[in-house]
Amino acid sequence: MDESPQAMTAASIQTYRDALFEAMEQALIRHDHTVIIGQGVTDHKGIFGTTIGLGERFGPRRVIETPLMEEGSLGICLGAALNGLYPINTHIRADFAFLAMNQMINLAAKYRYMFGGLFEVPMLVRLVIGRSWGQGAQHSQSPQSMFAHTPGLVVVMPSTPEAIRETYAYAIAHHRGPVISLEHRLMYELAFRSDPAPQSPSASQSGTPPFTSRLERRGRDVTIVATSIMVLEAKRAAERLAPHDIECEIIDLHCPSHPDRDLILDSVARTGKLLIADTSWLAYGVAAEVCRIVAGTAPHVLTAPVAMLGMQPAPCPTAKSLEDMFYPNLRDLMQAIVRLVTGGDNPAIDLPDERSMADFYKTFRGPF
Amino acid sequence: MTDVTPDPKDRHDRLFRTALLIRLVEERIIDLYPSDCIQSPVHLSIGQEAVAVGVCEPLQRNDLLFGTYRGHAYYLARGGDLNAMFAELFGKIGGVSKGKAGSMHLAAPAVGMMGSSAVVASAIPHAVGAALAARVRNTNQVIVTAFGDGATEEGVYHESLNFAALHGLPVLFVCENNGLAVHASLAERQAYRMIDQARLYGIPAETLTDGWDFLAIADATDALVREIRRDGRPRYLEVATYRSREHVGPAEDFGAGYRRRIGLEDWQDRDPLIQDTDRIARLTPEITAEIDRAEAFARASPWPEHEDLLSDVV
Repeated sequence: MDESPQAMTAASIQTYRDALFEAMEQALIRHDHTVIIGQGVTDHKGIFGTTIGLGERFGPRRVIETPLMEEGSLGICLGAALNGLYPINTHIRADFAFLAMNQMINLAAKYRYMFGGLFEVPMLVRLVIGRSWGQGAQHSQSPQSMFAHTPGLVVVMPSTPEAIRETYAYAIAHHRGPVISLEHRLMYELAFRSDPAPQSPSASQSGTPPFTSRLERRGRDVTIVATSIMVLEAKRAAERLAPHDIECEIIDLHCPSHPDRDLILDSVARTGKLLIADTSWLAYGVAAEVCRIVAGTAPHVLTAPVAMLGMQPAPCPTAKSLEDMFYPNLRDLMQAIVRLVTGGDNPAIDLPDERSMADFYKTFRGPF
Repeated sequence: MTDVTPDPKDRHDRLFRTALLIRLVEERIIDLYPSDCIQSPVHLSIGQEAVAVGVCEPLQRNDLLFGTYRGHAYYLARGGDLNAMFAELFGKIGGVSKGKAGSMHLAAPAVGMMGSSAVVASAIPHAVGAALAARVRNTNQVIVTAFGDGATEEGVYHESLNFAALHGLPVLFVCENNGLAVHASLAERQAYRMIDQARLYGIPAETLTDGWDFLAIADATDALVREIRRDGRPRYLEVATYRSREHVGPAEDFGAGYRRRIGLEDWQDRDPLIQDTDRIARLTPEITAEIDRAEAFARASPWPEHEDLLSDVV
């Protein structure tokens, strides 16, 4: 995320959506056995622009529109994987994938293990988190922990175009099991620098397996473990706090099913302080899991209680006033960091009065 | 399916032998079950063997079949290894899935047995997806999904029929109608007739009422498989059959009150695995010896160990 797009050249920027489109296009070009299957993959909106035109170019045998049949859709992908295809299954709302939970949890996650390694079911399942602009209770959920809870699934939450390109290309070309990717709708239109700034530690990480966590920023005072768009929020907060001599270390969890435990533990051992910023509820979720990693291995490295930001413990409300309270905003995040690092509020630090994170990222008006 | 027409007597013998193998294997399981050497829920096919035997006969080796938790019959009818099956039931490392599958998840991909799910109807879309892959890859495979009448009540069954019909995919839907879902009869469960409903999707569908007649089932399946291979479109076969044992477990449960014993007696009067005493007498000794060897193999096979616990997870 860059807050000054005018400073970038056309060649160096890419939107999240364009990276997704590129990943889909490349999958079809490079691998004859890849098919894209989902509701809306051939319509004029093409999964928020990520499959537009691919049906015409690659034909109805490669880009396959489905009826409204979430469980059947994923089941068909599993069967296709068993018979030599690499299916990419799309669901334009992660919430809709709950209808496919039987196939995801009872079948796809277990097909290899349950049969003692006789079968492999390589597939990519793309789910879109549809947060904000009144998406309400059933169009906004972020179910990473539900999937990551079940052994057998790889769950990723790409937070940059680079993460999309690397992770999807690796999954499609090399991984022989089901991968679930949670894409955040708020990021689709955002333009990112395609080559990380030289000071970014993640630049030196290319070559690491894409199913793990990524160090996004080094800092001595606090470790922030974040997912998806909360990584971008953490970076914004870190940039604003750096002038006040608060240095944040940011870890993009990226793969909730396979977090880099050593990366997290090494970081917390240096900073002594941990803040977890997730896109979902805290209870039994990513926040709880990261706490489990630290508390179960090295609780003594913590010099303060862990701070956590996520959705409020309620279904997502539709009213804008309530929605703004439901999700943490930049002010909440910066305040939590300041309190964690300094032990209290610091009047010298000017906290932003931004009420909604969505208002900052949103470049559209509904419907969405 | 072969190009040479087999000797009718040989064919009868061969199918009978497979059906008898299934019957005797399951009777051995009943004998062993009280000893607890098989610690896996068993859903027996006794009474339903002929459907699996007849359906599998016309299939070519690369045709794929997706089964259910009541899957011993299909595993054996497709030619799954008997030793590996017994070791699987015993939970031993020599099992077809290293003991991780047990009775409910038998599979043998080398002979096109692509797995068995213990969640009703959940493998039906897998067959449709495999058929989609067959279409995309031009493999000329026929894909079979076998399921019970209860599965037709699940939503994903309808999703699967619709998609297969809509895209014209080479799937044979085989409904083993034993009239029971767990302990509930068809009349308690269905406001529709399965065959009519399949036809509503535009899928040619037929019913066989003599579910003990493996030759008739094989002939009907052969004709349907030839049609599917010719036009690549789905077909539907419902076979009336009879579950002689309880839903899960080795016992009869006519005393439970949900069905009458007279149905069993009617069935047994026509069951060739009871009535064809000449063939039974001729084939039983060698089959019994085969089962003895499989049981011994299972007993001798080691238990899976800690290294197996966390293998093949991701």
